[in-house]
Amino acid sequence: MIEIDSLSCKYANKTVLSEITLDIEDHLTILGANGSGKSTLAKALCGLIRLEGKIEIDAQDIFEYDAKERAKKIAYIPTKLEFYDEFITLEEFVLFGRFPYKASFMNYTDKDKKVAREKIELLELCTLSKHPLSSLSSGETALALMAQALTQESDIIIFDEPTANLDPRNSKIIAKHIKGLKQTHQTVLITHDIGLANFIANPVLFLKNTEGFYFKKDFFTDENLSRLYEVEIESLAVKYE
Amino acid sequence: MNRTLIWLFALGIFFLSPFIGAVNLELSDILHADTLSAQIFYELRLPRVIFTFFAGLVLALSGLLFQTLFRNPLMTPYTLGISSGATLGAGIAIKLGMSSVIFGIAATSFFGFLGALLTIFLLLFLSRYLQGSQQTSLLLLGIALSLFYNSALMIIFYLGDSIQNDMLIRFTMGSLSVISWNSPLVLAVVAVFFTSIIYSYRFELQLLSISEESALMKGLESKKIVFWLLFLSSICIGILVSICGPIGFIGLLVPHIIAKLYQQSIEKRIMKTAFFGGFFLIFCDTIARALPTQSEIPIGIITALIGGPFFIYLIISKNKGV
Repeated sequence: MIEIDSLSCKYANKTVLSEITLDIEDHLTILGANGSGKSTLAKALCGLIRLEGKIEIDAQDIFEYDAKERAKKIAYIPTKLEFYDEFITLEEFVLFGRFPYKASFMNYTDKDKKVAREKIELLELCTLSKHPLSSLSSGETALALMAQALTQESDIIIFDEPTANLDPRNSKIIAKHIKGLKQTHQTVLITHDIGLANFIANPVLFLKNTEGFYFKKDFFTDENLSRLYEVEIESLAVKYE
Repeated sequence: MNRTLIWLFALGIFFLSPFIGAVNLELSDILHADTLSAQIFYELRLPRVIFTFFAGLVLALSGLLFQTLFRNPLMTPYTLGISSGATLGAGIAIKLGMSSVIFGIAATSFFGFLGALLTIFLLLFLSRYLQGSQQTSLLLLGIALSLFYNSALMIIFYLGDSIQNDMLIRFTMGSLSVISWNSPLVLAVVAVFFTSIIYSYRFELQLLSISEESALMKGLESKKIVFWLLFLSSICIGILVSICGPIGFIGLLVPHIIAKLYQQSIEKRIMKTAFFGGFFLIFCDTIARALPTQSEIPIGIITALIGGPFFIYLIISKNKGV
């Protein structure tokens, strides 16, 4: 349960978000044009940036959580993975998801390693587990990020433009997994990929002119899309079914 | 195979090093306690080798630490101007003729790590005003600070008399000639403490090597940990520099060599980098002592001669995206 209470964001003299108020009980997809504040909202939900207003997860302010406790509630999957250590293996990377559960100064336990292994198997990455991250393709990296988030065993997972760098085939694989995760997690999806959003079929929050328009269902009509994106959209470009 | 050979070579240097120098010693010499050779061995060479080992260890490890925290292979206390800050601090203490002891620490040491600390605070403070490609700007800030400190040191030269200046010049080029066991023991304690702290934070470091943001999302209080580790390493560097002057490029070379040699994640490279750093500096110091020159070549010159070209190589290979 995420409660957003009159969240506002201003940069210099430009208002990005004004007074967004929304209770997210169900899954959610956030859509909107470039610069409409989607990523800002996602970062605020993760507690990475502090905006005006308030965000509560399970009736507690996100900034009042201990960092590790917050990590057990919410996992964030970025669009792109940047890393400095070129030799870190996929297996080691996925294991980081267990950091919030690890006692300070202690090694990861066998249970932690078991959870990580299960998630690697679930996403069919076993053959790559000893490979360094730097050798993986974008599609494989996206799966590695997902495996790490799953290892974190959080209640909520936020996907920040998961298909932005992927080819149609990998996009479909990722889409299938996101849909599957709706059974076990509360998902928040941020995307420009209307086909993906349609396939995932979450309620939609459309950000436009600093405001949020909430659609519980029936969002994906040509009329809605054309009106909100201000461009003729006749049919959904990519079909994920 | 390569790895074993390199470590054997390093160990070989470690054991041979005390016998090499202006006076070459024989094994039989040191067994008789009252000879001059034995005295050289036990009072000069051995403390020096031990001191050098721990100096190399601290330099290499702080290099690895800085590179991980800033996620940039060019970051070291030396390239960021922290060593220069410590040098200036210690230089001021020498100029003022301070030989007293404050809180049980020699005045030069105290001023040395004051300089190092001041620099890291200044860098952290200034970095809040940086935008965009933060890392490069931070590196430039470090270089700007180094230049500034060097000029300040020049002023001290002009004000100093020739005896002080001789001390200062020796100091600014780095010197490992320690007399007696005092400094090696102090440094050993510092180095062991430093290494155990870094090692106990190995998982946090590994998380930070991805990004501060992702570390935060995994429940790590990134800012706090980064600050604490930088603070700690600045103290260690400050103490080290105040004893032996700035010795550059070890922090750049050693972590890179170990990374290429082992191709493992950072967490697994910490101890290897530490030990190899120690052996590598002994190797450089042995060269400095073995060269038949009028007086001993300062160690800082040797490491800069090896490290300078390597630094250029790193910049070029980084731009190629390697």
